[in-house]
Amino acid sequence: MSQPGLLDSPEVSLSESLDLPWLVVVHNDPVNLMSYVTMVFRRVFGWNRERAKKHMMEVHRQGRSIVWSGGREQAEHYVQQLHSFLLLATMEKSS
Amino acid sequence: MIFELSNKGNPSFSNIHPLLAGLLQAAAMDPWERYREGSARLLPSPGGDEELLLDWQELVQPELRHHFDLERSLVAEDLAEMHEVHEVKQKKGEGWSLEIPMDHADAWLTTLNALRLALVEEHGFTEGDLSRNDAPDFSSERGLALMQVNFYAFVQECLLQTMESTEGEESDGGDGKEA
Repeated sequence: MSQPGLLDSPEVSLSESLDLPWLVVVHNDPVNLMSYVTMVFRRVFGWNRERAKKHMMEVHRQGRSIVWSGGREQAEHYVQQLHSFLLLATMEKSS
Repeated sequence: MIFELSNKGNPSFSNIHPLLAGLLQAAAMDPWERYREGSARLLPSPGGDEELLLDWQELVQPELRHHFDLERSLVAEDLAEMHEVHEVKQKKGEGWSLEIPMDHADAWLTTLNALRLALVEEHGFTEGDLSRNDAPDFSSERGLALMQVNFYAFVQECLLQTMESTEGEESDGGDGKEA
């Protein structure tokens, strides 16, 4: 039996929730050396070599890697830092 | 060309062929002036919404451009010290020599990367072009540009290896959740 849909109300549309985190995504660019990308990840996020290499290989093989999620301001900060090393990075709302 | 660490522990290139010395000197070139189309790659979009893009173009990209200019000025400083060795009796033989202070390594990596990206974008090099092992083609501008891209990659690898060998392991860190 269906009930009057609370979720049908436009005020509670989950897809527009402001609580959803922002994702920082690094995209593949064949020009960037793998060793360089690994170094940048260590430098920007403070990761150890293994974790940086894991995300680098994800970028290399799958074309992209989600490297961080959280608040908008911090996401903008990370994207700017990654751009300062000339990596292709974007931010997107988590779905 | 010989790559080693100097007495001060800095990455150091010696016995550099004049052609390669010329390519190194070109590293101080402003990619925005030299490669108008190619330099578009150097300031990519951050994604997100239109509001973010407008703010990015107005506030962030000028900062990034300034950052790249500063890095390039450090590279130019080091290149001004590049000198030619004429005395065959010296251990390193003839050719040009260049020492890169370790604290300028980041600047060199970024500056060389910017030129590589701009050159690839400008000439439309494919992934296949970049991975070919053919002998350099000196007869065309495109061939020289590809040689420049590959040579700068070699210099980057030398610097990265040096940095890797001098840096220790770091613990996991970073703010926010891992995705």
